[in-house]
Amino acid sequence: MSYKADLSSQTLPVHLIRWHGRIYAIVGLCILLVVIAALATTIGSVEIPLLTTYQVMISKLPFLHTTPVWSSGIETIVLDIRLPRVILAGLVGAALATAGATYQGLFRNPLADPYLIGVAQGASLGAVVGFLLPVSWSGLEVGAIPLFAFVGAIASAAIVYGLARVGKTLPVTTLILAGVALGALLGSVVSYLIISSGDKMHGIIFWLMGSFSLSRWMDVMLVLPYIIVGTVVILLYARSLNVMQLDEEQAQQLGINVERLKLVLLTAATLITAAAVSFVGTIGFVGIIIPHAVRLLWGADYRFLLPLSVLTGAIFLIVADLIARTIQAPTEIPIGVITALCGAPFFLYLLRRRRKVIF
Amino acid sequence: MHRYVRNCLFGLMFLVLLTCPSCSSPEVAKTSSPIEITDQLGRVVKLDKIPQRIVSLAPSNTEILFALGVADKIVAVTDYCNYPAEAKEKPSIGGFSTPNIEKIVALSPDLVLATSMHQKSVIPNLEGKGILVLALVPKTLDEILESITLVGKITGEEKEASKLVAEMQNRIKAVTDRTNGLSEDGRPTVFYLTWQDPLKTSSVGTLAHELIQKAGGRNIFPEIVGTQSIDLESLVARNPQVMVAGISMGSGGDTTFQYLKTETRLQNTEAGKNGQIYNINIDLTGRFGPRIVDGLEQFAECIHPEIFGSPN
Repeated sequence: MSYKADLSSQTLPVHLIRWHGRIYAIVGLCILLVVIAALATTIGSVEIPLLTTYQVMISKLPFLHTTPVWSSGIETIVLDIRLPRVILAGLVGAALATAGATYQGLFRNPLADPYLIGVAQGASLGAVVGFLLPVSWSGLEVGAIPLFAFVGAIASAAIVYGLARVGKTLPVTTLILAGVALGALLGSVVSYLIISSGDKMHGIIFWLMGSFSLSRWMDVMLVLPYIIVGTVVILLYARSLNVMQLDEEQAQQLGINVERLKLVLLTAATLITAAAVSFVGTIGFVGIIIPHAVRLLWGADYRFLLPLSVLTGAIFLIVADLIARTIQAPTEIPIGVITALCGAPFFLYLLRRRRKVIF
Repeated sequence: MHRYVRNCLFGLMFLVLLTCPSCSSPEVAKTSSPIEITDQLGRVVKLDKIPQRIVSLAPSNTEILFALGVADKIVAVTDYCNYPAEAKEKPSIGGFSTPNIEKIVALSPDLVLATSMHQKSVIPNLEGKGILVLALVPKTLDEILESITLVGKITGEEKEASKLVAEMQNRIKAVTDRTNGLSEDGRPTVFYLTWQDPLKTSSVGTLAHELIQKAGGRNIFPEIVGTQSIDLESLVARNPQVMVAGISMGSGGDTTFQYLKTETRLQNTEAGKNGQIYNINIDLTGRFGPRIVDGLEQFAECIHPEIFGSPN
């Protein structure tokens, strides 16, 4: 950041300089996201020349007719395997980071992550039930597992919400405690079901570890509307989240309908988390660390924190997935391993370097 | 922390297994009685009479006992012992990685047939209670034949065992005689799917890999050791001529096979275009029992229908 240089120039008031710095950051990250996504599409376990990769992509644009000089296998790899995978990883990363930032702001709790109110355990239970039901789901093109996981995620968040409500208010501490308790309960049910699931055990465990390995365009299309709508709603409430950081009572006095805000933001954050989790499993770490990293780098103003989290989350997960699928190619490593292994040291470095209270 | 410790233990177990110096061929001492048998973990097992109450701790062990005609001596099997059908009627001592020690002891067996996964905790535990344990740890076709011979010796059914081994050898030979002479080009490239989400394949060091080679095919992932998850794009790029899904007749169903048939991104591979997509029950490709030769023959039919006739 050119933030120090700006300070010395003394031409703008400090708050405007910070404004500029963060707007540059948003623009810069947008560009970086496009570059990283384009790059990630060119790299994979199969070596395809850079030029060919882009020729394949360009050939699909309307009004441009190029005669293919590549095999149909290469076209499949670039267009139907890598591209949807990169996009899905970006979407899920953005969703988890945004949801994490939202929960942290809403609960005013730095330990909050997208899975705090039972969404992950609910999704896991839904998925496990989907695995165990003795029905063939071949008629469903989406696949039964994502559907069950999505329903499970939404249902458990709704139960937590219902349990935590006191009259017309929703005390945040009660919500967190209810989430933790229900999460533990569902978690134990999942463990029991896994143990008694016989030869389906492996499939379930692999699903729970999370993976982008089979990402299809259809998954992207199904996840996209939830993530876009949810994220836009959350971004619109950024200013209210800033006010919420003061204190719920003060926020109320400043004219914010706190209870409605909680309901709207919880719904939006839960929806995008559920959509993300139901297709790729519960990928940890992104939702808690990315918002904090953004906070450390660019401050806690939610008007910037949220869009910067969207971008950083997307970039982070695209890179993590790229590493997961290439470092031991053709073998794939579970992405959760990469997110924690690469993310944690970087985050600790940031934490030490800044040495300030971040939350 | 717990998980970490557990992972370390697993790792250690693996190392011990890999470096186990004495997984050598079994030997039988010539003394008439008591008999001494060295099992596949290199443990020397002494006994002075033929066991009458046997507990099997693995489906493969159960199948061997049934094949040798000593089913009446089996007092318990595992939850996973599904073949032959009569095995399901035997009392169970639980899952095969987590057998119920109390139940085993209560049955007062005079022989327990264990496998490699019981090496660390179950075998020492049972030995500590004075129960005779024989470990069968085959990793290859030859070692399966060896383990059958071992079970024959310890149950006093040596004749049955050598008959079964000879029959299996003949059937293996019937396949390999026709595939050994094949040139590199005459060996189709094969992809074997063990799980579809994420994609997993079994290669070097697994039975399925050995069966594919013996059946005259070339595994498209020869650099992979064991069963690992692989990248869809590598699979597409390696363009297999034959794809075989390992399916489970039990509860898993044929989701792997359905996946291979319906995944649009695989339909442009040679196997997809020519409809060379098959399935084999994983109990025949990964279970270290007598039916492994069925697995070999089915692989041969999938890979070389022109020689062995069309499968399924």
